[in-house]
Amino acid sequence: MPRRRIYNPLTELLAAVLLVVLVLVVDRWEFSLAVLLLGVLPAVLLSGRPRQIGLVIALVAGPLLLSSLLLHGLFFPEGTTVLADLGVARVTVEGLTFAALMGLRMTVFTAVLLTAAATLDLPDLLATMTHRGWNRKLVFVVGSAVGLIPHVAERAHRITRAQQARGLVVGRGPLSRMRALLTVLTPLVIGLLVDASERTRMLEARGFSSPGPRSSYLPDSDTPRQRRTRRAMVAAVGVFSAAWLVGAP
Amino acid sequence: MIALDSTRFTYDDGAPLLAGVALTVAAGDHVVVAGASGSGKTTLARLLAGMTGADAGSSFTGAITLGAETVRFRGTPGDPRIDPARWSARVAYVAQGAWGQLSMMSSTVAEEIAFGPANRGMPAQELRRAVDDVAAALHLTPLLGRDPRRLSGGQLQRTVIAAAVIQQPEVLVLDEPFQGLDDAAARDVAAALEALRRNGTGVVVCAPLLPSHAPQGARVLALADGRRVFEGPLTEARRAGLRRFGIGTQGEPLRLGDDVVPAPVGPAGPELVAVHDLRFRYPRERGAAGPPAGLTGVDLSVVAGEVVALRGPNGSGKSTLLQHLNGLSRADSGSVTSGGVRIGRQPTGALAATVGYLFQDTDSQLFERTVLREVSYGPRAAGMRKDDAARRALLALDALGLGEFAGAHPYELGFVQRRMVALASLMATGPVVWALDEPTAGLDEPARTLLAGVLARHARGGGCVLMATHDAVFADAVAHRSVWLDGGRISPEGATPR
Repeated sequence: MPRRRIYNPLTELLAAVLLVVLVLVVDRWEFSLAVLLLGVLPAVLLSGRPRQIGLVIALVAGPLLLSSLLLHGLFFPEGTTVLADLGVARVTVEGLTFAALMGLRMTVFTAVLLTAAATLDLPDLLATMTHRGWNRKLVFVVGSAVGLIPHVAERAHRITRAQQARGLVVGRGPLSRMRALLTVLTPLVIGLLVDASERTRMLEARGFSSPGPRSSYLPDSDTPRQRRTRRAMVAAVGVFSAAWLVGAP
Repeated sequence: MIALDSTRFTYDDGAPLLAGVALTVAAGDHVVVAGASGSGKTTLARLLAGMTGADAGSSFTGAITLGAETVRFRGTPGDPRIDPARWSARVAYVAQGAWGQLSMMSSTVAEEIAFGPANRGMPAQELRRAVDDVAAALHLTPLLGRDPRRLSGGQLQRTVIAAAVIQQPEVLVLDEPFQGLDDAAARDVAAALEALRRNGTGVVVCAPLLPSHAPQGARVLALADGRRVFEGPLTEARRAGLRRFGIGTQGEPLRLGDDVVPAPVGPAGPELVAVHDLRFRYPRERGAAGPPAGLTGVDLSVVAGEVVALRGPNGSGKSTLLQHLNGLSRADSGSVTSGGVRIGRQPTGALAATVGYLFQDTDSQLFERTVLREVSYGPRAAGMRKDDAARRALLALDALGLGEFAGAHPYELGFVQRRMVALASLMATGPVVWALDEPTAGLDEPARTLLAGVLARHARGGGCVLMATHDAVFADAVAHRSVWLDGGRISPEGATPR
C-alpha cells in the first residue's frame, strides 16, 4: 500500500531539494551517509514500492559510482599511497577514498531526488503550483519532467507484458531478472525517444504550454501552515549554510 | 472556418501525398475523410491540426486557413511554424491510439478531461460543471474517479474524446474515433459530436470505412494512395463504387470467398480451451467508486477448428478473460486450460508457444528494431535457431503481405501494417490457441478480408481463435458463435450459435 500523505507535494519536493543543498554545503561523508540511511532508506521502504524505486536508484546511481571509481580511483594526481602501479594509471588509497566520497555524495543526490520524484503526487503538485500562481513555464518543465517517471514505468510494464506474451521467461533468480531488465531497456529507450516529440506536441496541443493563467480541477490542498513551514525550511537552510560556510576553515 | 489547400506533402523522400487535395470545413459541417491504410487521411488530419511535420523531416507545400488567418508553406526550411498552443485552442485533434494521448499528469478521469481547459484557465467551478456535463453525455460519470491508465480500451477512447469535446473548439478533428467502441459507446460519441456540431463546431472524422449513420448533410472526402478519389455528399459516396479503393461501408457484410466461411465443427473435437468457474477481481483503486469488472464464474469451452467471438460492452471483462488464457492474468479461483496446458504458476513466457496473444494497443506490443527481428522474437524465445526463426518469420510476413517490410522499423509503418506485424509475430511462434483483442480495430476493408482468411485457415488447420470484438459484421461473418459478456459474467442468453 502506498504511504499515507502527510505533507503537500511541494513541501516534499522542497525538502528533497534542500536536503541536496545541505549535503553539498556540509560536504562530509558522515552527513551524506546519515542522510542515506536515516532519510532515504526509510522513505524508500515506506513508499509502498521499495523494489521499483530501489531498482531505479541502482540503475541511475550505479553507472555514476562506477565512473567515479574509474576516474578518481585510477587517476588521482594527489595520491601518494600507491596500491598498484598500472603504468598510465595508479591505484592510490587517496584516490579510492576520494572516489568513495564522491560516489556516496552522488548516490545521495540521485536517491533523494528520485525517491521524491517517484513518490510525489504529481497532479497534486501541479495543482498546488497552479493555486500558488507559479510561473507557467516552470509548471510545464516540472510537470513534464516528473510526469515522465510514471510514463516510463507504465511503458516498461507494457513492454514486459508484450515480451512475456511472446515467450520471454522471467525467472526468480537475480540473473534472469537482470536479463529481463536489459531486454526491456532497448525498446524502452527507443520507444521513449520516438515518443518524446509526439508527447511534447500532445501536451502543447492540450494547452499545457499556453500563455495566460492556469486553473486547476483539484482543490488547493496546501495550507498556510505548510507554506510557513516551507518558508521556515528555506530560511533555516539558508542561515545554516551561510554560517557553516563562513565558519568553515 | 478552416481550409486546407494542399499542393503536396512528402515524408522524408517518399512519394508525394495529398497532391491537389483541398478541403474546407465551415461552422456546423460534418466531414468524413475516408480511405484505406496509407491513403493519407492521418496526414490530412494532422495538417488540419497544425502539424506540418517540418520538425520531423516532412515537407508540406500549400496553405492552411483558419478563420481570417492564412499560413502558407513552400516546403522549405524557412516555412512558418504554427504555434501549437494557439492553434489547438481553436482546432482540437484526437489522434489514433488513445493511450499515447494521456497527459500522465492526472490521477483520475475527471482531471484528465479537465486538463485542456484547466491549462487555458477555465475557472474551477465552470471546469467542474463542464466535466460533469461532458461525462454525462458520454456516459463516463461512473468512471470519473478511476485512474485513466487502468481503463479498458473503449473507456479510454471515450475519455480522450471527452477531453477534446470539453474544449468546445471551432474545429474538431478525430482520427478513427470509433475504434474499439461498443455500439452504445459509439452512439454516445456520435451524439456528443452532433451536439457540438449543432453549436457550430466543424467536425472532421477520419475513418477507414464510410459510416452507416451520419448527420444529415454530411460530406465525404475519399482518399486513395494520397489522392482524392471522391468528394460529395455521403449518400452519393455510398453509390460511388469506392470499394475498388478499399473503402467499404460500416455494417455492410464482408465479401468473403468460400474458403473463408467458417467450416462446420463437430462437438466431439479436441477441447483446446476449457474455462471452469473462473473468478477474478481487480484490486480496488484509490478514490474509485468501484474496481473494474473482473470475472465472476465464467465457464467456456472451445474446440479445435472453432472461431469464437467474445462480445459485450466496453469494460465487460472481454480482455480480462483473454488474458487468463495465456497467464497475463491469473485466476483467483476456478481453472483455465489452454491448448491442453493447465494455467497454474508457470511463467507467462512459457505459454507463448501454446497461446498467442494480440494486444488491443498495437504500439505497446512492438519493441524490436526491425520488422523481421520483431516477428522472429517469438520463435527465438521458443528456442528456435536464428535461421529457422527468421524463416518462420518471413513465412508469416508473406502470409500477411508484409514481406517487403522485413527490414523496416515497425514505427516506420502505417497503423494497419503495424497491426499486421503484431499478428505476424503471433503467427510465427505457431501457437494453437489465438487470443485476439479487437483484431479488426482500425483495419481497412482489404485488411479485414485478409484477416478473415488468416483466421479461417488457422481454424481449418486444427487451431482455435477467441477474439474480443465490437465488430458485429466481422464476428458474424467469421466466428462460429458469439459469447456475450456483461459485468464480468457470461450473459445467460449470450452464448449464441451462428
